[in-house]
Amino acid sequence: MNNQIDRLLAKRVSFLADAGPDEDIAISSRIRLARNLADHRFPVSADAEELHEICNAVSSAAADSGALGCPECFSFDPEKLDELDREFLLERRLASRDFLNRQTGTRLLVKSDESCSVMINEEDHLRVQTMLPGFQLDAVWKQIDELDSQLGSRLNYAFDDRLGFLTSCPTNVGTGMRASVMLHLPGLVLAGQIAPTIQGINKLNLAVRGIDGEGTANQGSLFQISNQSTLGESEPQILERLNAVIGQLIVHEKNARRLLLQRDQFSLLDHVGRSYGTLRHSYKLTGEEALNCLSGVRVGVDLGMFTSLDIHTVNELFIGIGAAHLQKKEGRVLSSLERDICRAALCREKLKI
Amino acid sequence: MLCDICKKNEATIHIKELHSGEIHTANLCSTCASEKEKNGELSALGFNLAEMLCNLGKISSAIKSHQESPAESATVCPKCGWTIGRIKNSGGRLGCPTCYNAFAPMLSEAIQNVHRGSVHLGKRMQSASPDGRVALETELSSRRHELDALVKREEYEQAAVCRDKINQLKAALDKMSTDEASHE
Repeated sequence: MNNQIDRLLAKRVSFLADAGPDEDIAISSRIRLARNLADHRFPVSADAEELHEICNAVSSAAADSGALGCPECFSFDPEKLDELDREFLLERRLASRDFLNRQTGTRLLVKSDESCSVMINEEDHLRVQTMLPGFQLDAVWKQIDELDSQLGSRLNYAFDDRLGFLTSCPTNVGTGMRASVMLHLPGLVLAGQIAPTIQGINKLNLAVRGIDGEGTANQGSLFQISNQSTLGESEPQILERLNAVIGQLIVHEKNARRLLLQRDQFSLLDHVGRSYGTLRHSYKLTGEEALNCLSGVRVGVDLGMFTSLDIHTVNELFIGIGAAHLQKKEGRVLSSLERDICRAALCREKLKI
Repeated sequence: MLCDICKKNEATIHIKELHSGEIHTANLCSTCASEKEKNGELSALGFNLAEMLCNLGKISSAIKSHQESPAESATVCPKCGWTIGRIKNSGGRLGCPTCYNAFAPMLSEAIQNVHRGSVHLGKRMQSASPDGRVALETELSSRRHELDALVKREEYEQAAVCRDKINQLKAALDKMSTDEASHE
């Protein structure tokens, strides 16, 4: 049992609960930077002693800079956490599975409002992340650029004049930046337009993933769009390219919703109504079913069908229905059936109108 | 599990398709999948394929398919002791920052495969170093030669891409000059 995890559980998830630009379609914007210390081996080849040395150096730099609001920030050592707590951090989008599985010499620092975090000794020595609600990559970049400069002025980053920031995997070399926006695209999915749209995005050298990365394509009509190339363009140029494509996607999604309303109104209303009915009146819900129904209700909120239901309540449920969040809320390990029962109870309670 | 096509490499891409109620499966290595994609044979699978052929796959296959010379095979990174074999086994990940120098020929090929350019045009931690300016100027000069050659061969589409790259390099050099002036 970790007290810090309980404190996190009690907090609202600001990147889902706060208002953001284009929030009817864009759920959140995230940027992560990969950084390494010049005089150390990458985590994949460093031994335990070196990993601890790196971990201490980065933790001290974070504390000195005050960049994450430390000492008021959260600090987790994955090796001291039980499996449920590790899963909780994963669902919270604060850490990657790869990071949580590594454990030796790793540490996760999280700003108290959860907007910024640093994974120490993931694939790279530092994986710095900033996340804000809605579609606002430029604002996210401003924040993370500042945080990175504060940390970088206290650490000797591995940097090459020609290749930029040196990273464990050459896919991240250069800016070390991966920027992504989580989009809710039910209009394009229902209109059968999502496959050609994704193919088009891929041709622009951008990646499309599901809500939890690989293997979750299309769940809840949620898609993450991110850059693939990190070298040969500056950070603002990469963001400009992403912004242009995502801006277009938002327009297409709005058009798809409008056309569905004009041409097939009752199918769309029926989809929303059935989704709401399932969430409001079920007594057992699997994670996937709940996610897909939440997606339907989210469209209904945007269409004005539920005037007393806030879009942020639905957003927060995307994380709240996670297996680890349900178990932490109940304060014990639950069987799969018990989780489905608790998930249904949570949805019934939160979606009362 | 070995790749269904080459029967040599480990299959890292697993595709399931539903056709007339029957499930068809294919297990491919990243090299064979890339080849199939180039031929347009997998275009119908757009989403999954894009997911699977993410950059890591490209880097790893570019590094794995790199035929090193005997001298390269014998190269050992002076800092971490890694060899090309070790890098190949770690999915294209390197042992330490010095590996970028130690294995530069193999890496430059892999990096060109994945990224939109070969020179860093983004943030620099310290005030611009003379070496940084030289790297950008060398790249600018080589891109200008490339543009001349493309125009002579009337390959205008690629020339336009090259011209954009030149403009980006010029902008990066201008920014460096502005930053230097503001530091003085």
